[in-house]
Amino acid sequence: MLELKNIKKSYDNKTILDDISLKIETGEIVSILGPSGSGKTTLLNVILGLTEISSGQIIFDGQDLSKVPMQDRGFNIVFQDYALFPNLNAYDNIIYGLRNKPGISTPAEVAELVNLLGLKEHLKKRIDQLSGGQKQRVALARTLVMKPKILLLDEPLSALDGVIKESIKERIQLIAKQYNLTTIIVTHDPEEALTLSDKVLIINEGKISQFDRPQVIVSQPQTQFVEKFILSQLRIKRDNIFRLFGNLPAAAAGAAR
Amino acid sequence: MNRKSFELKLCFVLVCVIFAVFLGLPLGNLALKSLQTGSGLGLANYQQMLGSEKFLQAFGNSFVIASSEALITTVLAFFLAYGLHMTRLPHKIKEMLQLVIMMPMFLPSITYGFAVIYSFGKQGLITRLLDTQLFPIYGFWGLLISYIIYTLPPAFLVLYNAFFYIDKNFITVSKIMGDSAIRTFLVTSVRPLTGSLLAAFILSFFLSFTDFGIPVSIGGEYEVIAVELYMQMMGALPNFSSGSVIAVMMLIPSVISVALLRYMEKFNFRYNKLSRYEIQRSLVRDSIFTVFFAAVTLAFISVFAIMFIVPFVKSWPYQPVFTLDTVRRVLGDRALLDIYINSLLVAGITAVAGTVLCYGAAMVNARSDLHRYCKVIMDVIAMVTNTVPGMVLGVAFIFVFSGSSLQNTFAILIIANILHFFTTPYLMIKSSLAKMNESWETTGLLMGDTWLKTVIKVVIPNSKATIYQMLSYFFVNAMVTISAVVFLAGARTMVITTKIKELQYFEKFDEVFVLSLLIFLTNIVVKTVFDVLAEKEGFPLYKKVKKLLKAKEYSDEKFC
Repeated sequence: MLELKNIKKSYDNKTILDDISLKIETGEIVSILGPSGSGKTTLLNVILGLTEISSGQIIFDGQDLSKVPMQDRGFNIVFQDYALFPNLNAYDNIIYGLRNKPGISTPAEVAELVNLLGLKEHLKKRIDQLSGGQKQRVALARTLVMKPKILLLDEPLSALDGVIKESIKERIQLIAKQYNLTTIIVTHDPEEALTLSDKVLIINEGKISQFDRPQVIVSQPQTQFVEKFILSQLRIKRDNIFRLFGNLPAAAAGAAR
Repeated sequence: MNRKSFELKLCFVLVCVIFAVFLGLPLGNLALKSLQTGSGLGLANYQQMLGSEKFLQAFGNSFVIASSEALITTVLAFFLAYGLHMTRLPHKIKEMLQLVIMMPMFLPSITYGFAVIYSFGKQGLITRLLDTQLFPIYGFWGLLISYIIYTLPPAFLVLYNAFFYIDKNFITVSKIMGDSAIRTFLVTSVRPLTGSLLAAFILSFFLSFTDFGIPVSIGGEYEVIAVELYMQMMGALPNFSSGSVIAVMMLIPSVISVALLRYMEKFNFRYNKLSRYEIQRSLVRDSIFTVFFAAVTLAFISVFAIMFIVPFVKSWPYQPVFTLDTVRRVLGDRALLDIYINSLLVAGITAVAGTVLCYGAAMVNARSDLHRYCKVIMDVIAMVTNTVPGMVLGVAFIFVFSGSSLQNTFAILIIANILHFFTTPYLMIKSSLAKMNESWETTGLLMGDTWLKTVIKVVIPNSKATIYQMLSYFFVNAMVTISAVVFLAGARTMVITTKIKELQYFEKFDEVFVLSLLIFLTNIVVKTVFDVLAEKEGFPLYKKVKKLLKAKEYSDEKFC
């Protein structure tokens, strides 16, 4: 279980995160949702250990990690632009961490990951020969080889086309389930956040607007911000699609369920 | 977090110390020296200098000749760049032309002077072909031609590269709106390039104002400031306080040039996307440019041809019979061969050490979490090195390092070269490092690497193409430079360019041309090898552009 207690981050007298407290259960997928400048990426970096906090505590499985440096926390991240190493091919990227920590994943486990992510036929390719979705999966595999205690994903879908987006979404869910892996995702897209995750953390101007299961957020928005910026956006989208398909009541009922 | 910064902090401190000792100290000392008079500090030296008819004449001459040649060079360079971008001439011809224009970059400027003498002089190749001497070569005209040859390659590069970034859609718009051809040309090519045209002009001006090799070979009675500075420092009656004043005065136009260049960057409205434009057929336009290209090519080749002829004939111009005697004699001369090896050594170490220094400074600037001011300091250093002419650096070094253990060593030549040519490779690697994914080091750290390990395993391998270009830039420039080293090379540490100057004194022009040819061939080989290596790793600019344009075509198809 990951617990954040009164996290505060300020920078040059500007408060970026203000009094963030929450608990995330092991194996949960949690999305951090917010507009740009809301502090969501900072929060991700705080959990990762890339950004130092001004005050507060980060507790993971009973251990205080607040002062533990990034590389000793055992968390790992897939960056928005993947940060793959172009001088290595796909496979060498995937096993990059094994050279430093041999045995952290067995060859069989690596092979299983490669299969799970559908990367078998792409292993010998150069990075610039991969499509966006393939790059995303290579980066995911490279991170999972390290067996992170928490998987952090920074805007994992924003660079991908429609259909590939849905397939990556499924794989993220599959992996979280299969490895019982706590997964924290940063996104600016409400639809993505609410359909992908077990719980959604909505933040605005450095403060928590609401932290709950998607259904609760949709049915009981707790702040003006959630109502105005998150739900109204989704309703417009929903209405447009209904109009397009000729307003099917059955689908409407299904979506509201 | 803080562990990651340790190596970079060290890097920052080292770069700062190196430049404080080898740039700050000499320049500060030079300024001080120029202010020292018999009775304490004062402007007496300057007053004396500014009252000197001879100095004012030389300064004025330098100014006049540098501005005239810069104007001609800029116009020439513009039309060359325009012709390469906007005509439908065959690709092979365009590539050939570029090679010809780039030729002077591989030769010391002192050689052009001699080449012009041997081409346009009384017994010169062209004079003999035309049976009449076109103009007196010693002095203004000889200087003008040599400076144009010297500064055309860099001015051309500035404009040629700028052309890629013009929004070609303007051309279509202008034509649809019914503009005349002249108006289209002015609105879509000249106006967007105004900044680059001024940049090319200033660059040419700066280069010819501070060059030493050309006036020392062909200047004759037309005195310019570079030669005046040399005479004050190394002449029969050295006057160090006058020398220091001239050096500081030489710095003034340089500072103004660089300041202007930076100021103008703001006006350079750069269109960041590369746009493709299908050039329309025009027989008239292409014919005119064919003639223009042919004329430039002929002019360049006729000047440089002499360099390939003199070493292989018995005695130019009296016995133009083929023989390898001269080449054999020069290459058999142990002393000359040693000097060639000296040059290789200096250029090689300059290339390696210079590249390392630039890389370190660029890492601090582009890939560190050090304070913003630390990063700015790196840029300031690059700007200062860009501003200081080689001759001023050489003079400043003399004052500080004479009598020290650095005097008459190869080390001082290498340090001077690295500082002199620091800016361009620094900017190259800085932009390449800045373009790389900013999360690599973090990713490496999360995968169990140390910072250094990620740099060695990922960052450096991904910048290999740029590293090869830096090595080749340093090497070629160290081979051809004379301005700083002419003050610093001792009898034991002679390099080819300083030897050429000495040989000129004894009028041994056969040797001059053989040594020049040796530099030329060495540079071509080195440049080619590094280009091939770089191409294996990445793509040179024009290939990248080609690829980008192609990719654009394909991406359009995808949506259909």
